[in-house]
Amino acid sequence: MSTLQWTDARSVEEAVALLSASGTIAKAGGLDLLDLMKEGIVAPARIVNLQRIDALRGVQFDETSGLRLGALTTLAEIASDASIRRNYSALAASAAHAATPQVRNAATIGGNLLQRPRCWYFRNELFHAARQETGREQSQYGAIFDNAMSAMVHASTPATALLAYGASVHIAGKQGKTRTIALGDFLLPPDFDRDRDTTLGSDEVLTHVSVPPVAANTNAAYHKQTERESYDWPICDVAVVLTMKERKVEGAKIVAGAVAPVPRRMSASEKLLLGREIDEQLAADAARLAVGDATPTEKNSYKVPVLEVVIRRTIMAALR
Amino acid sequence: MDDSTAPELVSLSLTVNGRPCTVRVDPAATLVEILRDDLGLTGTKIGCDRGACSGCTVWLDGEVVASCMTFALDAGGRSVTTIEGLARDGQLHPVQQAFVEHDAMQCGFCTPGMVMSCAHLVESNPDCTLDDVRGAIGGHLCRCGAYPNIFKATLAAATTVRQRKTRGPA
Amino acid sequence: MSASDPREERTILAGIVGDSLRSVTRPIPAGEPPELPPNAELRVIGKRVNRVDAVPKVTGEARYTYDVQLPGMLYGRIVSSTVPHARIKSIDTTAAEAYPGVRAVHVLDRILSIAQLRDPSVEADERYPLVRYHGQPIAAVAALSMRAAKAAAKLVRIEYERLPHVTSLEAAMQEDAPVVFPGPTEQAATAGGGGAAPNLPQEGNLRGPARGGLGGGPRGDVQQGFAQAEHILTREYSTQVQTHTPMETHGLVADWRDEELTLYASTQFVLSVRDEAADVFGLPKEKIRVFSEFTGGGFGAKFGIGNYGALAIHLSRKARAPVRLMLDRREEHVSVGNRPSTIQRLKLGAKRDGTLTALQVESFGTGGVALGAGVGFCHSTMYPIPNVLTEHYDVFTDAGPSAAFRAPGQVQGIFALEQALDELAHTLGMDPLALRDKVDTNDADDARARKVERRIGAEHAGWAQRRPPAADPGPIKRGLGMAQSQWAYIVHGTTSCEVRIRGDGSVAVMTGAQDIGTGTRTIMAQTVAEELGLRTEDVDARIGDSRYPAGPAAGGSRVTSSITPAARNASYAAARDLAARIAPHLGTKPEEIVFQDGRVFARGEPDRGLSFADAVRKANFDEIVHRADRREDYEGYRAKLGDLHISKQALGGVQFAQIAVDTETGVVKVERVVAVHDCGRPINPKLIESQIYGGVIQGVSYALYEERHLDPDTGVQLNANIDQYKIVGSRETPDIEVHVIEQLGRQSSTDARGVAEPANVATAAAIANAFYNATGKRIRTLPMTPANVLAALRADDRNDDEEPA
Repeated sequence: MSTLQWTDARSVEEAVALLSASGTIAKAGGLDLLDLMKEGIVAPARIVNLQRIDALRGVQFDETSGLRLGALTTLAEIASDASIRRNYSALAASAAHAATPQVRNAATIGGNLLQRPRCWYFRNELFHAARQETGREQSQYGAIFDNAMSAMVHASTPATALLAYGASVHIAGKQGKTRTIALGDFLLPPDFDRDRDTTLGSDEVLTHVSVPPVAANTNAAYHKQTERESYDWPICDVAVVLTMKERKVEGAKIVAGAVAPVPRRMSASEKLLLGREIDEQLAADAARLAVGDATPTEKNSYKVPVLEVVIRRTIMAALR
Repeated sequence: MDDSTAPELVSLSLTVNGRPCTVRVDPAATLVEILRDDLGLTGTKIGCDRGACSGCTVWLDGEVVASCMTFALDAGGRSVTTIEGLARDGQLHPVQQAFVEHDAMQCGFCTPGMVMSCAHLVESNPDCTLDDVRGAIGGHLCRCGAYPNIFKATLAAATTVRQRKTRGPA
Repeated sequence: MSASDPREERTILAGIVGDSLRSVTRPIPAGEPPELPPNAELRVIGKRVNRVDAVPKVTGEARYTYDVQLPGMLYGRIVSSTVPHARIKSIDTTAAEAYPGVRAVHVLDRILSIAQLRDPSVEADERYPLVRYHGQPIAAVAALSMRAAKAAAKLVRIEYERLPHVTSLEAAMQEDAPVVFPGPTEQAATAGGGGAAPNLPQEGNLRGPARGGLGGGPRGDVQQGFAQAEHILTREYSTQVQTHTPMETHGLVADWRDEELTLYASTQFVLSVRDEAADVFGLPKEKIRVFSEFTGGGFGAKFGIGNYGALAIHLSRKARAPVRLMLDRREEHVSVGNRPSTIQRLKLGAKRDGTLTALQVESFGTGGVALGAGVGFCHSTMYPIPNVLTEHYDVFTDAGPSAAFRAPGQVQGIFALEQALDELAHTLGMDPLALRDKVDTNDADDARARKVERRIGAEHAGWAQRRPPAADPGPIKRGLGMAQSQWAYIVHGTTSCEVRIRGDGSVAVMTGAQDIGTGTRTIMAQTVAEELGLRTEDVDARIGDSRYPAGPAAGGSRVTSSITPAARNASYAAARDLAARIAPHLGTKPEEIVFQDGRVFARGEPDRGLSFADAVRKANFDEIVHRADRREDYEGYRAKLGDLHISKQALGGVQFAQIAVDTETGVVKVERVVAVHDCGRPINPKLIESQIYGGVIQGVSYALYEERHLDPDTGVQLNANIDQYKIVGSRETPDIEVHVIEQLGRQSSTDARGVAEPANVATAAAIANAFYNATGKRIRTLPMTPANVLAALRADDRNDDEEPA
């Protein structure tokens, strides 16, 4: 019987060095890792525990530099942090509505962004081993955009909000090298053939997430639409971040999650809002524009009107 | 275990219900497995083993976690409170007492985890509302449908805790 | 008791307390205790007593099968099929057997709990049982640790010869569909229900039609009935497969020793575990002992030993060590039971004044590789419709076997019938309650109960303020709907209780029943306490041991109705015995002894009495033991199927649901339910409420969220977990208001009936009817997911109802 090796890394450098060995996986909260292990989808020979690395902890905010979230920041911490609630309310909301209270206490933002999809073909050993997403048409969940090859969607809901705030991720690699990459470029369409759905290298560690400072007069809203309110994966989730000048929209970010392989900027809708005063009609027009090029499957076509409604309502909610 | 090719066990020290414990564990073991199988504390249940039913809820350093989705080694050096550790000096916790009074259970399998979440809520927020209760147990599955009485019991227990706090020490 | 026992005619008051009581005459067997007055005059029965086993549940002390740990115990892990339909060519267990820590491996040679070929010779040459669904158990491994068992199980090599498979109900009904069973099949019901009528025709995957049921089969002539109708509606309804999902999975601890086989079972019926083990292993029943102190939910699926239990016993025998085999959550969803789906075509004929003239139902349902997909018996028994024809077909698919699930068949059937009645009412311009008043007129306890329940429910649900359909202008539309239920009042024939009064004054009562959460110990203790003038907590109530006097199955809502009369009769005999011994010490005659408020005294002299314990000690005996059997109901039964005795009277129930439909997202929220029920004499209103909450919540969950999803290409259940098989949680729980009426039917010495299943029957129909009131549209498909709701809102709802001149 193979023994799982467990090593507590004491520093980012040590973690990076350990990750170069094959069959080694880094662990933060361990929620996604344990699920994948229990489903027989991953079987690491060694786990590198990141939880003892203080450099990966901490929430820092100031008006000039914005927000810095250590990779080990839990979803519970994000949901309850006063500066995040005040300045990045859509992010706080996305964290507050993710998973369950128990999971939020342990799940980290780093792990959340690095998690694999929840697609019920992906999470099943049988399909995973066969490397096929057979019968994707059968899933009533999944993508309604960019779904020609696959309907799998990225599972992170905080990613929807982070994208709307223009977040970046920071990565440490070998020899102390670091790099920064915009979140939109970091997330990749989920794929059976890769062991990750991000551009993180196999011997790299995500160290922190940074979010630019928000302008004054920023209004934001977030809504996660589920079938069941208690605890559920989303039909879609939407984050809207608006910067206003007097009553007109100066800047707009509208992001929809769980409807495309990665969270999707609704650029045409954003452009429609620019320079205008938002009312119910404009919000409805922007929402209709957002879903205009949707290509749903037979089973998930209901997602199109639902997404349209949620975008409209979230735009209006951002005004309040 | 008496196998020659058993996994290499690692030493784990933690505090459980106020008592220091040291056990030798498989690194892949979860906290709930250690509690139930190594320490004989079978009060904590496994309902789904995926963190989706919250039946395995314990307190880890005073916060609610899903013990089936917690590596045992991640609890090293930390403090765990299980359902067996909630009553003090033979006195039921106000939530336990309220669950009995309000029949906040049926088959009882989800009850230990449920009590841990509700006890955490009333202790950290004795002014909790019905909406707070729904939110605190939003991750719990009670297939028997005891939720209405769980709500009543938890709000009653919160009142008890509130009153104790305002009365102050005896 | 048999029909020839001496009887005396007694005239007693019967009926609904607070509504109408009338004198009835009953043939009471000799020696029966005097009839109990209405609950208001009793001290313990009818009171809101705390569950006596609540403390162990809230402290974690309660031991479930999953918690049993015996010295030297091994852990069992099942090997199940990875294909949906196949012949097994070979099974190689050598690698598994050699894995470190493994102590036994066993391969099944037969599959329990599924349909069986009427002619077994058709597959007699098969080396192994045919694989008929993905996840079918094939073998199991027992090892020193769960980790070792899981690793070793993966090493069992199975060679399959694949056969064509079919997973959908519609596809399986086609003429050219792959055939699941190569010949006619049979499957008997368990104590919880399910199963199918014997000797029905079977063609391809279609078995039926079944025309019988409680109502006794077709009646009248439906063609004539429709000819007499002034309005005929024809509709199609469909319901989904629902899995039981008890919090504790199925499982067994088996300890095989030469002298005795001991089993710890998560079960609804310890004697079914004993009996199936005896049957499968060729053991005398006396050599098997079954324990079940606490069962973590069952809902109808936990009877017998099942394949997992047979494997645990085989492994224990081979390994000569105890083996605990608990299913994991995937195995639980897939292989041990579900509520079958249905497609129901219903045709209802009525006069313009609401009189029903004919009802015809043709239904199809799949229970996978098991039989038992039905639509209940309400069609022929609930309303006095003169012409009724129901024809039901089971359709086999390569999917996990169904099992009885909380009011099997009836939940599906009422969803259609009560919606059809609601549609009829609206078409005729009648209030749905008024239509029920018109047609719900059988001379039967359930009809009488529902009349009162409609009135109470209407008042508390605000029925008079109900608005016309689609009244709300905005996207969120609210509505109120109602539906009725009927369920069988069942008695478990072989039920015995034993009461022991010990010389130190302690009192114990025992029966070999079990508790799946309804409160068996408590109602039994209350009954004894009432008779002996004690408090419930003074009575030590024991269950969960097959060596105790035979107890009832926890299925068919029969535990309270079966146990309480036996417990009462045993207590009554013990009290008379005790009175005879105490009377001399109190200077009085035995018939003057009163047991009340923990004391024993001569009638009229309460201050000259003794405490119960002192009186017992004064009587100076070692132990008094009295056992009593559950006697037959005074007016007998409609039918007796083994131990399942079905009363001529039935249980009613009426529910009102208030819902809000977000017509833009398709999300339905059930805001409030008013549930009005009867259960004969309520023994413990607190426990009854819990059952009703539970039934309503399961009904909401069935109506809105739950659905088993199978991948058609592989037969894999895609959502065999807790996050994607969606069940009502805290935020979906509606506000539930419960009213229970006290209906004294005068059939037994306590008159307790059942409520667990009735609570689950009408909910989905009430929600569907509320949906119509909210939106003006009908939803005839479950579950009411956003996808199904949006489709229903967009559908052209015009139906070509017939209106013959």
